[in-house]
Amino acid sequence: MTTLVILLTLLPLATTLAAIGGAQARVAGYLAIAAGCGAVGLSIWLLFWIAGHRVLSSLSGFVYVDGLSAFFLFTVAVVVLLSSLGSAAYLRVQEISGELSSVQVRMYFGFFGGFASLMLASLSTGNLGMLFVLIEASTLASAALVGLEAQASSLEAAWKYIIISSLGVTIALVGTMFLFYSGTGLPLTDNLRLTWPYLFQHASELAHPALKLAFLLSVVGYGTKVGLAPMHTWLPDAHSEAPSPTSAMLSAALLNTGMYAIIRFLAIARIGLGTHYVQVVMLSFGFASVLIGVLFLVTTINFKRLFAYSSVEHMGIIAIALGFGGQLGLYGAMLHTLNHAIGKAVLFLTSGDVVLGYRTREATKVRGLLTTLPLTGTVLMLATFSILGSPPFGLFLSELTILRAGFAHGGLWLPLALLLLLVIAFVAFARRTMPMILGEPDIRSQVLRPYVAGEQRVLAALPIVAGIAALLVLGLWIPAGLHTMILESIGALG
Amino acid sequence: MESLTATSGAGVLLDLCGVLMLLCAFACLGSKLFNRYLTYYGAQSWLLAIACGVVAYNFGRVELWVLAVLTLAVKGIGIPAAARRLLIERLELQRDVAISTGLSTAIILGGALTAFSYLVIRPQLLPTGLVAAAVIPLSTAMILLGCEVMVVRRHTVAQLIGWLLVENGVFLGAITLVATFPFIVEAGVFLDIVAGVLIMVVFVSGLARQLAEASSAELRELRG
Repeated sequence: MTTLVILLTLLPLATTLAAIGGAQARVAGYLAIAAGCGAVGLSIWLLFWIAGHRVLSSLSGFVYVDGLSAFFLFTVAVVVLLSSLGSAAYLRVQEISGELSSVQVRMYFGFFGGFASLMLASLSTGNLGMLFVLIEASTLASAALVGLEAQASSLEAAWKYIIISSLGVTIALVGTMFLFYSGTGLPLTDNLRLTWPYLFQHASELAHPALKLAFLLSVVGYGTKVGLAPMHTWLPDAHSEAPSPTSAMLSAALLNTGMYAIIRFLAIARIGLGTHYVQVVMLSFGFASVLIGVLFLVTTINFKRLFAYSSVEHMGIIAIALGFGGQLGLYGAMLHTLNHAIGKAVLFLTSGDVVLGYRTREATKVRGLLTTLPLTGTVLMLATFSILGSPPFGLFLSELTILRAGFAHGGLWLPLALLLLLVIAFVAFARRTMPMILGEPDIRSQVLRPYVAGEQRVLAALPIVAGIAALLVLGLWIPAGLHTMILESIGALG
Repeated sequence: MESLTATSGAGVLLDLCGVLMLLCAFACLGSKLFNRYLTYYGAQSWLLAIACGVVAYNFGRVELWVLAVLTLAVKGIGIPAAARRLLIERLELQRDVAISTGLSTAIILGGALTAFSYLVIRPQLLPTGLVAAAVIPLSTAMILLGCEVMVVRRHTVAQLIGWLLVENGVFLGAITLVATFPFIVEAGVFLDIVAGVLIMVVFVSGLARQLAEASSAELRELRG
C-alpha cells in the first residue's frame, strides 16, 4: 500500500518528465489528464483501503495516511484532474496563437506536474518537518506558474507571492520547532517527536506555553498559504496574474493543502490546550478573513480578483467551522472544503474561457456571455449561484451545516454575523458577475471564439460541466460513501 | 540534553554570537546604502556559521557541521556576492531612498520590538540557566527586525535583505532551542533556494523594466 501512495504522489511528475523531454502542449496536456485520472483513481482506492484499515503508516512516519489525509488527497486529486483538462485546452490555444512560446508551454507543464505532485506529497506525510519542506517547495513550483507570462505585473505577483508565502512558511517552521521543543522529555526519538501520530498520542503531555506558541505560529504561518486575513495579500495578485488553470489549482488545491497543515496542528492543540484557546484563534482569523474578503468583493472590478477574494472569504468560513468545532462543525468544514474546491475550480476555468474570448480581466468590459459564449455563460451563472451558497448546490448544504454548528457551539451572535456577511457577499459578487452573463453584448467588442478545434472545445467543456454537475449532486444528496469518508476524516482527529 | 547551559564556555560564545548578530540586524536597519546592507548581512551570516559550528562541536552532530559549512558558503559568501554582482552592480543601486519612516524612528521601533520579544519569551517557556533562555529572545528580535525592514523599506532589494535577516534569526533560534531538530539541513537548503529564486526574480524584473530601479514603490499596478 505504501508503494501505492508513493505512486499517487509521483504520478503527476510524468507530465514534468514529458515537458523536460520536449513534449508540446498537446502531448503534455493529454499526459497531464492521464496522470490526473490516475491520481483520482488511486485516491479513491486509498479511501476504500482507509475505510477498512483506518491508518497507513510506514517508513517511520514519513508516509502516513489516515482518514483526513485520504479525504484531502481525494479533493486535491479531483482538482488536479479538472485543472489538467482545462490546461490541455488553454495552453494549446495559447501555443497556437503564439502568446506563449514553446519554452513557456513546456515550463508550464513541467512546473504544473511538480506543483501537483508536491501538494499530493505534503498531504501524505506524517512528518511535520517534511511537511514544511514540501509546502515550501510547492510555493516555488507554483510561483514559476504565476510568473509564467513574464510581464511586469505577473513578475510582481510572483515576487509578492514568493516573499510573503516563504515568510509565512518560515514562521510555520518556527512553530514546528516549538512543537518539537514542547515534546522535550517524551520517550520518543527525535524523528518520532516530529511525527504527527506520535505527537497526537502524547498531546496532553506536551509543555503548555511552547505548544500555545507553536499553534499560534503555525496558524499564522500556514495561514499565509491558506490566505487567512491579514496574511492574504499575495493571494488576489497571484490568482489574477496566473494562467487560469493555475489559478484553479492555487485556489482549490493549494489553499486546502495549507488548511490541512493547520488542521494537523489544531488537532494536537485541541487536546493539549483545550478547545477554548483553539476556538478563539480560529474564529478570530476566520471572521477577519470573511470580513476582508467580503469588503473587497464589493470594490473589485477584475473578475479573477473577485474570485480570489471569494476564496479568502471561503477559507475564512472553513476556519470558522473549525473554530465552532464539534462533530457538526468539523463535518461542515470538510464538506465545505470539497464543495468549495470543485466550485472554485469551475469558476476559474470558466474565467479562463472569458479571458481568452474577451482579452480582458475587467468585469465591466464583458457583457452578454449567454449570447456570445453560451456554454461558458451558463456554467458561470450556475457556478456563481453555487459559490454564493444558494440551493440546490453543495455549498448551500455545507454552509447550512456550519451555521447550525455555530448555533450549537458559538452562541447566537457569531453565526448571525456570519450570515449577514454571507448575504453581503452574495449581493456584491452577483452584482459583478450577473451583468457579465446576462447583459446585452457590446457590438463594439470583438469576441474571439476561445477554442477553434472541436477537440479543445470538448476538453474545455468537460471539467466545467462535470464540476457543476457534481456540485448539483452534492447539493441534493450526499452519497453514503462520501458521508463515511467525512466521518472517517473527522474520526482521525479524535 | 538539548540545550547548552548559559555558563559553559560554548554557551557564552553562542550568546555572544547572538548579540553580535542582533547588532548586525540593527546596523542593516540603520543603513541607507545597498552595499552596506550586504556587508552587514554577510557579517551576520558568518556569525551564524560560527554559532552553528560551536553547537555542532559541542554535540558532535554531523548535520550541524553540514549546516555550518552551508551557511558559510551560501549565506556568508554566495548570496552577498551574487546580490552584489547581479543586483547592486548590474542595476546600479546605491542609496536606498524608498523608506517610509525616518531612520531614527525605524531604530526606535526596532528597540521596541526587541523589548517586545523579551516580553513574549517569558520564563515559563524556557527554563532559566539554559543558554536558550538568553538567545531565543535575541533570535525572536532578529526575526521581528527583519520583518520591520521588509515593512519600512519599499525597495525590493531591501525587502529581500529583510527576508534574509528573518531566516538568519530562525536558524539561530533553531540551533539553540532544538539542536536535534531532524530537518534543519533540509530546511536550510530550501530556504537558500528561495533566496536564490528571489534574487533571480528581482534581477529579471529589473532587466525587464530596463530600469536601474525595481522599486516596489512603483509596483502599484496591482492594488487592493
